[in-house]
Amino acid sequence: MPFRLLNSRMVEAKLVPGQRLFSQRGAMLAYKGDVSFTPSVTGGQGGVMGMIGRRVANEATPLMTVEGAGTVMFGHGGHHVHVIELSGETLYVEADRLLAFDGSLQQGTMFMGSQGGVMGMVRGQVTGQGLFTTTLKGHGAVAVMAHGGFIELPIVPGRPVHVDPQAYVAHRGEVRNKLSAALGWREMVGRGSGEAFQLELSGNGTVYVQASEEKL
Amino acid sequence: MAQFRLQGSKVLAVDLSGDAVKAKNGAMVAYEGEMSFKKMTGGGDGLRGMVTRRLTGEQMEVMEVKGRGTCYFADRATEINLVTLRGETLYVESSNLLCTDAALRTGTSFTGLRGASQGTGLFTTTVEGSGQAAIMSDGQAVVLRVTPSTPLQVDPGAYIAHTGRLKQHFQSGVNFRTFIGEGSGEAFQIRFEGEGLVYVQPSERNTIGGDV
Amino acid sequence: MNGPVIHDAHTLPVDDNVNPYAFSVDLDGQWFLQKGKMIAYYGQIDFHGIGHGRLDRLIAHSFHSPLHAADWVVAEGRGKMLLADRSFDVNSFDLEDGNLTVRSGNLLAFQPSLSLKQSIVPGFLTLIGTGKFVAASNGPVVFVEPPIRVDPQALVGWADCPSPCHHYDHQYLTGVLGGVRAFTGIGGTSGEEHQFEFVGAGTVLLQSTEQLMAEIATGGVPQQAGVPSATPPNQPSMPRMPGQLGDLQRRFGL
Repeated sequence: MPFRLLNSRMVEAKLVPGQRLFSQRGAMLAYKGDVSFTPSVTGGQGGVMGMIGRRVANEATPLMTVEGAGTVMFGHGGHHVHVIELSGETLYVEADRLLAFDGSLQQGTMFMGSQGGVMGMVRGQVTGQGLFTTTLKGHGAVAVMAHGGFIELPIVPGRPVHVDPQAYVAHRGEVRNKLSAALGWREMVGRGSGEAFQLELSGNGTVYVQASEEKL
Repeated sequence: MAQFRLQGSKVLAVDLSGDAVKAKNGAMVAYEGEMSFKKMTGGGDGLRGMVTRRLTGEQMEVMEVKGRGTCYFADRATEINLVTLRGETLYVESSNLLCTDAALRTGTSFTGLRGASQGTGLFTTTVEGSGQAAIMSDGQAVVLRVTPSTPLQVDPGAYIAHTGRLKQHFQSGVNFRTFIGEGSGEAFQIRFEGEGLVYVQPSERNTIGGDV
Repeated sequence: MNGPVIHDAHTLPVDDNVNPYAFSVDLDGQWFLQKGKMIAYYGQIDFHGIGHGRLDRLIAHSFHSPLHAADWVVAEGRGKMLLADRSFDVNSFDLEDGNLTVRSGNLLAFQPSLSLKQSIVPGFLTLIGTGKFVAASNGPVVFVEPPIRVDPQALVGWADCPSPCHHYDHQYLTGVLGGVRAFTGIGGTSGEEHQFEFVGAGTVLLQSTEQLMAEIATGGVPQQAGVPSATPPNQPSMPRMPGQLGDLQRRFGL
């Protein structure tokens, strides 16, 4: 499913019968051809269990299924849009930031706590996105939104990247995350205990960081 | 010395090799390497700076970032502009100052009426010395040169910073024949005369004088 | 490291963009501006409110509607003038004996050689004639050709083609499931049940959606049979702040 960036804030997808894609509800800007939009609670995959999983995970960002033959343009809130191509690996992204993605990608929710231990749980609270994050796996493209666009920082072994949880957008690859507090960081921020942490990402992959501390 | 570079137009990357920069509190979005963060009171150094700060209300929440590696700064997706100072003084609204080389001195200066019209206080931040500074603008800033033969008028809400020997004064842009009808909307402007550069953002903060 | 581009009174572009968010007008004569959109100027320029004697003839030529004159000023004189609007993207458009209809809040400035009229579609203005105008949009404008269906919030304007009509997704609105959804809200809606549909030859201008420019009054229309009356703008009273994603209605698909 090719996504084509029209400009920094709009993306165009070509639809052919038999393929479908998912998008955030209300994110369609315009379409040509015969295209239908159907609300989907589950995001289309995972069945009932998936649905319950999502409810529990509080990641029930309303999605819609887009099917048909034609061209659809997506954009949302004037946010910058980036297209991330996946070739077999897993993308970890907060559901709110998904603009549209290939229907063939396998969706799941991941309990961040299982990765980062207790600290991972705190992370969920820090970002205010719950303890769960959405995962997309397979071959296909994902259109992700960020406030003010994002930069990609490579994560290589032995060189971890620290990210302000508010500015974290997504990551991919074999990456471990944990919360850490830099020297002096905790006393300095001081506004709320939650903000005193940084997300430390290590391993092998890429992290996407937006140019803003603003959550979507 | 700290190396400033832009990653895109909205993220500032600073390469540090054991030295330090001063940055707006909370503007760090990511870093690689070892960094330490220290809260500073900002607005100038020493006791006099502190008194000035009290008086002026020009509050700068500043942190000192020190370490080895690369630190990334961004603030509310605003555009970032690099300014290289070679001994001159940069006058900037404190809310528009993102990051300065630790070698630069920061202080406050009286700006007269402009601040009042903008609701940002009567004082503005000065940055002096040699080194790099990063200032923020809502939308990509336009840098305009002022020469003795080409003075410049700026909407108070669009002004962010200036350098050089510039005299500034308020002028009323209203053509008073219009007072029967309604104001022209461009009620007040700041007029810059002399020799220097003015940084303008393509956006207008809410102003009292500017009547946006 | 190369420094920023420094502009002066002579190197500023002539009637062109300085960057995506600022437009430089080489003024020699008059331009109409929406109030408060001038950010800086060189030279000798006066700003006149609309509605006093000397410029009446000019205004009579260019304003063909009981437009809310208080929203507009005339810039008159010689010099370079920078226009911008809350760091939205700005673009200039040239009309050659053409017409273009634009959302009222998006229009920033236009040359007096164009005439400005109310569109039959409430909240839109039509520019007719030959000349240049400047409009703002949330993100760069994308040009598309009909036939196309457009989310109302993504529409900036259209040129040459006939006025749009409303399109409803009937497949969705009818049927048992649709009925249940409409009644209970269970399952939600896709948020895409209603579009503007354009057909015929022309160009449609789109922007990235959601954050609309405040609608400015386009003036009333005579109360008379056959004239569609403008409904009062049902804009939310608070402007939506950038960075917020989706209002509740959209989120929950109500």
